[in-house]
Amino acid sequence: MRYQNPELRDKLAAEYVLGTLHGLARARFRRLLRYDPALRRTVEDWEARFLPMALATPDVVPPERVWEKIRARIEGPWREPARQGLWQSLSLWRGVAALASVAALALAILLVQGPKTEPPMMIVVMNDKEAQPRIAVSWLPEERGKRMLRVRVMGHQKMEPGTAWELWCLPGGDKPPLSMGLITADGEQVLEVPRNLWPVLDRADGLAMSVEPKGGSPTGLPTGPVLYHGARVTL
Amino acid sequence: MDDLLDPTVLSGLLARSALKDQQAFAELYRRTSSKLLGVALRILRRQDWAEDVLQESFVNIWHHAQDYTQARSAPMTWMTSIVRNRSLDWLRRPREETPDDFELMLDYTSDDRPGPLERLTDSADAKRVARCLEQLEASQRQTIALAFYHGLTHSELAEHLKAPLGTVKTWVRRGLEQLKSCLGTIEPGRR
Repeated sequence: MRYQNPELRDKLAAEYVLGTLHGLARARFRRLLRYDPALRRTVEDWEARFLPMALATPDVVPPERVWEKIRARIEGPWREPARQGLWQSLSLWRGVAALASVAALALAILLVQGPKTEPPMMIVVMNDKEAQPRIAVSWLPEERGKRMLRVRVMGHQKMEPGTAWELWCLPGGDKPPLSMGLITADGEQVLEVPRNLWPVLDRADGLAMSVEPKGGSPTGLPTGPVLYHGARVTL
Repeated sequence: MDDLLDPTVLSGLLARSALKDQQAFAELYRRTSSKLLGVALRILRRQDWAEDVLQESFVNIWHHAQDYTQARSAPMTWMTSIVRNRSLDWLRRPREETPDDFELMLDYTSDDRPGPLERLTDSADAKRVARCLEQLEASQRQTIALAFYHGLTHSELAEHLKAPLGTVKTWVRRGLEQLKSCLGTIEPGRR
């Protein structure tokens, strides 16, 4: 089919959204969508046109069992740690290997920093989707009116050209993520924490890292894939 | 009453769900699940199927919330499309069970009143769509409503409306063209 013909593209998008495109044609159209952002926008326009029609149906409150099944299928409760003690939170790290690596990291960070940190020390170990630790972040004590985060990028990780890695603070509650700035792929780096973020950071649920366009997220919220995230742990 | 489907709130919840914030995701579910179950039930007409589709859709939303940040759509447009697409796939999947009340469903819809089109009064957008649908020929309007709300294919439409396949295809195509020119380009941004 001549998928470059604009009229045909619009017609197919409309019938896809309406539902009359089916069988092989539907499957083929879906494959096209994956690689054709302009076509995706045409579909999004049709979806927006039809939205009021789609929503003109009576609400039906789902029984509790639906939510329970959904909960059981999504990731473990990684958000809880910030509110619990170390050991409960550690029990949430999946598997002995992950546990061991967290303990080793915490120890390594303690050794590097020495015993001078009297205030409670906080760290975040950010894991990838396979629960492998990829970036560790530790809070450095305030010095000369400045506060820094030590960021350790584990292994040799490569940043795709034309992209940036942005670190996000997850304040918890209803609050949206806050940008902590951009980091590099260097193994060892420090990041200054803007003063207005101090209190938020110390009570944050955790941190996350997303891939953004060069220069960072244009919207102030993560726009790219979130590669790693982790909960804040107080040692 | 606070607006459960407030796009600004839902966008924020999706952004946090993308960061694997379970509380945000739970709140997203609380706000949208009743509406979305209604959407699925309208197409599938069986509570158990609609619940399964809702479950699949939310697991999908959890895993793909970060894709939302790249879509231009309003949050409900994005989530509703996931539910609608899954419902349509479900309806057309090969299965042993026959759609039990297919005939019944057609009887039920043939008079289409009080149907969803009469419910298009909730918002300015809904009223605009209602006005545009009013301007279609009756056959075009009925074809589009049957396809949209019941997931009928061209040949099922032809069978139900007792019209030749080519005629039905023309009704669909003309109806869509007219709807588009009446509705114009909708909300280029996500509001």
